[in-house]
Amino acid sequence: MPVTQKQVEEPVGRRRILLWLSSVGLFGSAVLSAVSNLVFIKPRATYGQPTRFSIGKPDDFPSGTRISLDVKRVCVVRDGNKLAAISTTCTHLGCIVGISDTGFACPCHGSRYDQDGNVTGGPAPKPLPWYKVSLAPNGEVEVDKGIQVPPGTYLNV
Amino acid sequence: MSTATKEPGVIRALRDLPSNLWSSIFRNPLPSNDLERSSTSFTNFFLHIHPVKVHKNTLRPIYTLGLGLISLFLFLILIVTGVLLMFYYVPSTTQAYDRMLDLRGTVAFGIFLRNMHRWSAHGMVAVVFLHLCRVFFTGAYKKPREFNWVIGVVLLLLTLFMSFTGYLLPWDQLAFWAITVGTSIAAYAPLIGKEIQFVLLGDATVGQEALLRFYVLHVAVLPSLLVLMIAIHFWRIRKDGGLSRPERPAAEVVKVRVEAAATKRTFGLQGFVRGPFTKVGNVPDESVFSWPNLLLAELFVFVLTLSVILVLSLLFNAPLEEPVNVMHPPNPAKAPWYFLGLQEMVSYSAFWGGVGVPGIMVGLLILVPYLDRTAHGVGRWFARERLLANTIFLTMVVLNVIFIIIGTFFRGPNWDFVSPF
Repeated sequence: MPVTQKQVEEPVGRRRILLWLSSVGLFGSAVLSAVSNLVFIKPRATYGQPTRFSIGKPDDFPSGTRISLDVKRVCVVRDGNKLAAISTTCTHLGCIVGISDTGFACPCHGSRYDQDGNVTGGPAPKPLPWYKVSLAPNGEVEVDKGIQVPPGTYLNV
Repeated sequence: MSTATKEPGVIRALRDLPSNLWSSIFRNPLPSNDLERSSTSFTNFFLHIHPVKVHKNTLRPIYTLGLGLISLFLFLILIVTGVLLMFYYVPSTTQAYDRMLDLRGTVAFGIFLRNMHRWSAHGMVAVVFLHLCRVFFTGAYKKPREFNWVIGVVLLLLTLFMSFTGYLLPWDQLAFWAITVGTSIAAYAPLIGKEIQFVLLGDATVGQEALLRFYVLHVAVLPSLLVLMIAIHFWRIRKDGGLSRPERPAAEVVKVRVEAAATKRTFGLQGFVRGPFTKVGNVPDESVFSWPNLLLAELFVFVLTLSVILVLSLLFNAPLEEPVNVMHPPNPAKAPWYFLGLQEMVSYSAFWGGVGVPGIMVGLLILVPYLDRTAHGVGRWFARERLLANTIFLTMVVLNVIFIIIGTFFRGPNWDFVSPF
């Protein structure tokens, strides 16, 4: 009995599909395990500092002072009864900027900022962000580093 | 035959024990002829990484300068001293610095081992880079060694990353700020920069999570990768035909008189091999036995490397600054010397200096053997045919060195320009 073309090709086609399916399966599981490893090493919870914290009573910051809280990485500016918190993390490469006569200066790569955190020199690409400041019910000032506010936004105390 | 001289089996076994033991471990006696020399290299597990014979050019110190071997030996010293240091180190922000002081004060040979580890690490970065320069200036990356050059570039990057992750572990001021700056550079990478930084640090800022992560990378992940890559690198040397060497003079090229044979109606295979053109034996044998020539050369390089590291470790102590003070970066805050060129570039533009230019340079470095497809000038230093390629590469190297020198000596507080004189 002559063998038809269809009978010859059918098992080859089946093998081909099986091969293709198992390749996709193997490759897919490799990608999946790579992705799950990445998901594993990216922490879901961090153990560092909270983004929202209290910095004390408004009276701790007399008018006209600029006090840098280095551990919290914010500079508290008090002008009359206006209060604001400016980040002291350099926008260039994350060093802590110091307070200088003209504003802020970074010791790492020489970025300079004015009193409001605008870049006046050096490689910094962005101005220093201002953070939301609010008065907690117990009368203490709270800074939220999770929320940025436009520069020049003060809290009246 | 005579039963009088026959000893009991056990006595004889005991008497022959040392020699039997020896010959069961080492299958060959010390070689005294060429056959034994080859089978010594061939049958010994530790020696069989060598070919039985190597080309004379491989052993010319002026050709290789032994730089690849020195890198390997420095890596071996780093593994041994590193594992020893692990016995006393704790990757914790509260303990790490104290452990450094313990190494200095109470641990026997602690400071000496730390010195060895530190100077070998600096040495390895320098020597791996010099090895890369040697391979370039001798044109050794050309076909069929293109892929081994790529593996080599990966090895350089792994070495730098090894050094960078090790830098944080003492948890002193130098470490903390160098890592703060270094990981912020990573954050400038397009699209996934912030993610990379966060995964590297395990937190928003450099802290306990970052220390633990860098520790695991430094003692487990990166060394494993490095060992794997080194193994491939060495295996490829053998498979790509040994170390590169000058092309043979044109006179020795074998020519086959095909046209003479083609005029005949029929001819056999022997028609091609008749005449003075037999392949076998018409080239001078310029190879020497690995045992003892190559072995002695390697031993010499090893002793030299180890002695230099030992002397350096006796004379100079590895730096340890004040413990981390997250509030006050040192002014100026400087990265390790091999990253100071990068830091200098970063002071002009964070993206271009830290990501753009280095990325392009590494990309070009990897592509070198695929861009330069000419086959000339292999196996000679600064071959005339390679003048253009060598000039471009040399310019890059000199520029890098200049940036490193500026970053190291000409930058003071607030990264202002200062004169060291």
